[in-house]
Amino acid sequence: MATVSFQQASRIYPKSERPAVDSLDLEIADGEFLVLVGPSGCGKSTSLRMLAGLEEVDTGSIVIGDRDVTDSPPKERDIAMVFQNYALYPHMTVEENMGFALKLAGLSKDERATRVREAAKILDLEPYLSRRPKALSGGQRQRVAMGRAIVRNPQVFLMDEPLSNLDAKLRVQTRTQIAALQRRLGTTTVYVTHDQVEAMTMGDRVAVLKDGVLQQCDTPGVLYDRPANVFVAGFIGSPAMNLVTGDAVDGGVQVGSGMLPVPRDHLTRAAASNGKVTVGFRPETVRLVGPGEGLPVRVNVVEQLGSDAFLYTSLADAPDDVLHSADLVVRTEPRTPVAAGQQLWLGADRGALHVFDAQTQQRVD
Amino acid sequence: MTIASGTVREAAIAAPPPRSAAPPARPRKRRQLTRNRWGYAYVAPFFLVFAAFSLYPFMYTAWVSLHETSLSNINGGTWVGLENYRDLLQSEFFWNATRNTFTIGILATVPQLCMALGLAHLLNYKLRGRTFFRTVMLMPYATSIAAATLVFSQLFGRDYGLINTMLEAVGLQAIDWEAGTVSSQVAIAVIVTWRWTGYNALIYLAAMQSIPGELYEAAEIDGASKWKQFLHVTIPSLRPTILFTIVVSTIGAVQLFGEPLLFAGNGTTSGGSSGQYQTLGLLMYQQGWSNFHIGQAATTAWAMFMIILVIVGVNAVIGRLRARADR
Ligand SMILES: Nc1ncnc2c1ncn2[C@@H]1O[C@H](COP(=O)(O)OP(=O)(O)O)[C@@H](O)[C@H]1O
Ligand SMILES: [Mg+2]
Repeated sequence: MATVSFQQASRIYPKSERPAVDSLDLEIADGEFLVLVGPSGCGKSTSLRMLAGLEEVDTGSIVIGDRDVTDSPPKERDIAMVFQNYALYPHMTVEENMGFALKLAGLSKDERATRVREAAKILDLEPYLSRRPKALSGGQRQRVAMGRAIVRNPQVFLMDEPLSNLDAKLRVQTRTQIAALQRRLGTTTVYVTHDQVEAMTMGDRVAVLKDGVLQQCDTPGVLYDRPANVFVAGFIGSPAMNLVTGDAVDGGVQVGSGMLPVPRDHLTRAAASNGKVTVGFRPETVRLVGPGEGLPVRVNVVEQLGSDAFLYTSLADAPDDVLHSADLVVRTEPRTPVAAGQQLWLGADRGALHVFDAQTQQRVD
Repeated sequence: MTIASGTVREAAIAAPPPRSAAPPARPRKRRQLTRNRWGYAYVAPFFLVFAAFSLYPFMYTAWVSLHETSLSNINGGTWVGLENYRDLLQSEFFWNATRNTFTIGILATVPQLCMALGLAHLLNYKLRGRTFFRTVMLMPYATSIAAATLVFSQLFGRDYGLINTMLEAVGLQAIDWEAGTVSSQVAIAVIVTWRWTGYNALIYLAAMQSIPGELYEAAEIDGASKWKQFLHVTIPSLRPTILFTIVVSTIGAVQLFGEPLLFAGNGTTSGGSSGQYQTLGLLMYQQGWSNFHIGQAATTAWAMFMIILVIVGVNAVIGRLRARADR
C-alpha cells in the first residue's frame, strides 16, 4: 500500500508542441480509488503510463510511497497494470499468465500455485486455470487480467479502461465487482475511463482532465454539486447540465428574449470580465413556469422513461435544426401532458444555479 | 445489404408458393458454380504452369530412374526396375554425399536462423536508419551464388586469402580451408549463412511487427528483462514462423549445389579431392552430366525428394503436436 503523487508532471511527445499531460498535480491517498476521467485524447492513458514507467516524464516528478520513481523502470515501481485489451500472453495458460510475474520474481512453484489459486478463487476463475486466453470469453479474459494484477499484491493498481471491451450489461456488473474487490484489498488504485458514469460510481475521488490539464479533482458528490468550471459542469452528469450564455442585466441573465434570474452578487462577479455570464442548471432542477417568465423554449422530443420523462427542447429564438434540438433538457414527472412542438417557459431553482464567468469559464461562487 | 435481402425475403413471401421447393434452389446453386468457375479460371494458369514445369518433369524423373540409360539416349534405356535404387543405397559415394549434405546443412541452418532471430530482434527496435539496414540485409540474397562463392573462395584461399592472413596476423596457423573435411564444410556453411541470414531475418521481422506492443509492456511491468521478454513473448509468438523457416532452409540445404560446385573455383562436381564436400546435389550432377548415367542421377534426385519429404513430414508432426499441446 502506498500513496501516489504527481508533482507538476508533464509529458510532451516528440514532434508535438502541446504537452499530452500538462503540469499534472495529484495527491492520491493510501488505499484510495482514484478515477481519471475525460474525453478521448485528453491524456488519461498518458498520465497512467507515466505512473507505470511506460512513458517518460519530461518535467516534474512522480512519487510512490516515499520513493521518487520518476526515472525508475516499471519493474522497480511495484505496480500492476490492467490493459484495455488485457494483453494476456496468448501462449500461456490462465495459471501461467497469472503466475508469470511471480515466476520472474523467483517464487517457488508451490508458492506460485497457492497464490494463483487464491486469486482465481476470488475472481471465479478456478475452472479455467489450464485454459489459454483464446478459449475464454471477454469477461473471463478481463478477470484474468485482473487476476494477473492482484496475485502480485502490488503497491498500486493501474487500470486503463479495463471495461471498455465488455458489453453494456457485463460492464455494469464488473464495475461493481472491481470496486468491491478494491475495497476488500485496500490497494491504492488509479483507474482510467472516458465514461463519467463509471467514474462517478467507482471513484472515491474523480480527477477530470481536458487537453492534458487537470480541471478538478474531488469526490463525485462535489463534482456534481459544485463543478469548478463550465467543462466539468457539462462533462459530469447524464443527461448533461443545461448551459446557457447571455448578457448580465439587472436581476439576471438575458438569453435571447428570455431572462433567467440570478442572485446579484454572483452576477456581478461573473460579469466582471466581459459582461457575459454562463449559467448552468441540471435537468432535474428545472421548473415549468408561467408564460412570459424565464426562458421560452420549444419542445422537440419527449422521452417517456416510465419513472420519469425527459423533454428535449431548444430556446424559442434558436434556429430550428437538429443541432439545437436538445439544447435544454428538462426532467419532469412521468406522463406530463407535454407534446413535441409545444412552447414552454423554463425556470430553475435559485439555489441550484451554477454561475460561471463566460470569459474565464470558472465558477464564481 | 440488409435492406436488400429483407426486400427479397418479403418479395418471396408475397409471391405465390412455388409448385415445388427445388426450382428456386437450382438457379442459386448454378449462380454459385458460375462464380466459382471464375475462381478456378483465375488459379488455372498457376496449375497449368505447375503441371508443365513441375509435375511432368517430376513423374518423368521417376520414370527415368527405373531405367539404365545415358544422357544422349534418354528415351531409349533399358528397364531395370529398382536396381538403380539398390545400387544407390550400396554406393559409398551416396552415403558420403548424404553425410556431407547433413553436416553442411546443420552448420549452415542453425547459426543462420539463430543469427536471423537476433538481427530481427535488433532491427525491431526503433533504430535510426532502419530502412537502410533492412535493405542491406537483403542484399546478400540478391547477389548471384556464383559471384558470392567466387569472392568467398578468394577469402578462404590457402595462400593469399584474407582470412588466413588475419589468422596469421593474430598468431594462429593458416588453414587449408579447401582441403580439410571440417574446414571446407564450415567455409561452405559460412557462404550459405551469409546469403540467407538477412532473408530469414526479414521474415522474422515481419512476424515480430505483428506482436502487439502491449504484450511487451505487460511483460515489462511483470518484471521481465529484455532477454526474458525475448524468450517469453517474442519466441513463442514466432513459433509458426520459425517452423516455416526451418522447413524452407532444410529444403534449401538438401538441394545445396551452387556453393560447393564453385567453392574450389573450377566448377568440378567431385566436391574436393576426396569428396569431402560433395553434396547430394553435386553427386547427382556428377552421375548424370559427368558420368552420363542419367538413370542413376534421376534416382539420386528422387532420394533427395524423399529425404525432404521425411524432414518436412517430421516438422509438420512436431508442429501439429505443439499446436495440440497449446489447446
Ligand atoms: N505515442 C504517442 N506519440 C505521440 N502522441 C501521442 C502518443 N500517444 C498519445 N499521443 C497523443 O497524446 C494525447 C493524449 O493521448 P492519450 O493519453 O492516449 O489520451 P486518452 O485520454 O484518450 O487516453 C493525444 O492527443 C494523443 O494523440
Ligand atoms: Mg486511452
